Amino acid sequence: MTKLSKGKNLLSKILIFTMILSLAIVSFACDTSEEPEPTDAPTEAPTEAPTEPAGSAEIHVYSRDSASGTREGFESVVGFADELTDLASEVASNGEMANQVGNDEAAIGYVSLTTNFEENNLKPLAYNGVEPSVEATVSGDYTLARPFAYTTRASGDYESDEKEQIVEALVAFLTQSTEGLEAVFDAGGIVEVSSGTPWEELKDDYAIVDQDNSHLEITTGGSTSVEKAVLAALESFQVHAGNVQFTMDQTGSGDGWARVLGDEKDGPNGKDIGFASRNFKDKEPTEDALASGVFCQDAIVVVVHAANSYVDDVSKDDLYAIFTNATTDWAEVAK
Amino acid sequence: MKGRRYLSDRIFRGIFLFAALFAAAMIVLLLVFVTVRGIQPFLPSYPERQSILPFLTGMRWRADQGVYGVGFIIINTLVGSILGGLLALPLAVLSAIVIGRIAPPKISQALTTVVETLAAIPSVVYGVFAAGKITALVDDIASTFGISTYGGSSQLAVILLLAIMTYPTMTSLTISGIKAVPLTLDSASLALGATKMETYFKVVIPGARSSIFAGFSLGLGRAFGEATAVSMVAGNALIGPTTSLFERTRTLTSTILAGLHETVGLDYDIRFSVGVVLMIIILVTNAMIFGVKRHFDKKAEGK
Repeated sequence: MTKLSKGKNLLSKILIFTMILSLAIVSFACDTSEEPEPTDAPTEAPTEAPTEPAGSAEIHVYSRDSASGTREGFESVVGFADELTDLASEVASNGEMANQVGNDEAAIGYVSLTTNFEENNLKPLAYNGVEPSVEATVSGDYTLARPFAYTTRASGDYESDEKEQIVEALVAFLTQSTEGLEAVFDAGGIVEVSSGTPWEELKDDYAIVDQDNSHLEITTGGSTSVEKAVLAALESFQVHAGNVQFTMDQTGSGDGWARVLGDEKDGPNGKDIGFASRNFKDKEPTEDALASGVFCQDAIVVVVHAANSYVDDVSKDDLYAIFTNATTDWAEVAK
Repeated sequence: MKGRRYLSDRIFRGIFLFAALFAAAMIVLLLVFVTVRGIQPFLPSYPERQSILPFLTGMRWRADQGVYGVGFIIINTLVGSILGGLLALPLAVLSAIVIGRIAPPKISQALTTVVETLAAIPSVVYGVFAAGKITALVDDIASTFGISTYGGSSQLAVILLLAIMTYPTMTSLTISGIKAVPLTLDSASLALGATKMETYFKVVIPGARSSIFAGFSLGLGRAFGEATAVSMVAGNALIGPTTSLFERTRTLTSTILAGLHETVGLDYDIRFSVGVVLMIIILVTNAMIFGVKRHFDKKAEGK
């Protein structure tokens, strides 16, 4: 029995020890963390803050993870590639971004335009003086957005007349029909669905959609960012166009023009319709195309906590400075 | 008659053997698969070849810049999981004593149900709870010290969350361990003049130590492996290591998970490497727990 109790004694001591240890660590770390903290942020007091919320005016930057299309869009509009500050927090989804920014008074982040701002305790910021909205994005006034552009091959450059007709029908469906616009909108693309015409009326001009098209295969190429919106539209189109087949091979905006109208169009990677998450450049002329244009916008909204009284409006330069850690204090942004 | 019985016996033995081998094969398959994928980025044939030392000791994780360093993530994961586990352990053992020895049968039954229900709650539910409540609590604590947090997303929030999540696993195993200690031992201890508390701490707990250690290592396994809930409260810092409980952190699992479905190439493959690191950490930690347990076993046997 004495032999036994020796080991048991130690065990219970360890148990009590860990309990005290964990409590001690919690309280101890609280004390020590107070000192190194101020080194992170400049200690100058915010002088010209209009109405100063409680606590520090340090800016907390939130970013989406590096695989996110929203992040790619945001960074390409604001104009930086890999200069995001090391102090940023990464969040995994749009919902999480909304939740975290809504819980942090010092936060700044960006979400898609379809986010519910009020419910998440967020304040959407105007960009260059324009409030974000679907209308302002479609009209081009709200510029924290990028166009999703499409182009087809040249007329007569399709392998068959049928193919050319079905592509023409697809373009009409994607850009004019209520069903197509709805699909794009639900996939996050900004379009005015109310401006659409029901496909029932439109399809009279495209007789090919009434036959069985399961032997036809539309191939798409170009930007990866457009994938969700285009896939949604194609899936909807398939139902309305005699079960036409499609293959998506999205590799990057550069290939959108090259594989449809450029050097690679007759190669093994040639496509029927190409996409870019920007406007086609001058050296990518689309005059020959059967059809080309912008089918939707990808709009991003910069958000802060609802209680943030420093800013209502940001410019491109503000955002660049904040996200690359050149500006670290809300009072500086407010100036 | 005898022959047929013998035959069915053999058939069933074969089935059982197959089941056991199948389970073992799954583990081997998983280990091989993850390891083979995980070492790819470090092989000379890989287009964007990574060096292993900067990967293991790096203090920055910047996927956008092609900088992958898991050094600080390893430290943060170890600190978060082990502190979370240690916080849950005393709570688990004490509540197991209440359930296994002190409480009357009806209450003990009710409490057991509660603990088992806790263990069955999916982790994302804990995550939603933690992202709303634990982070708010941590933010409040921090602001009383005058520290500004990222909305409460911090190492402390991770530790508290993991303590809550590992507690049910540890408790249910400890309960079964305590129930397995014969009541006659308690009577003997009490008859020798020990108080009830002395009996619980010096007879019952040491008697159940196998289960306590098993519970602790299973609990730690859950802590190490938890991804969804943790990434919701960790803040996912890009640099580290985290030196204060109120700073943001990043764990191996949340790093593997973030953006997994949308990425390709090196950024995808490197996640398998992170998985290999995680498996090694879990193996080493389990070996250490086993070592500590051996130590207690030897003490108890008086060797």
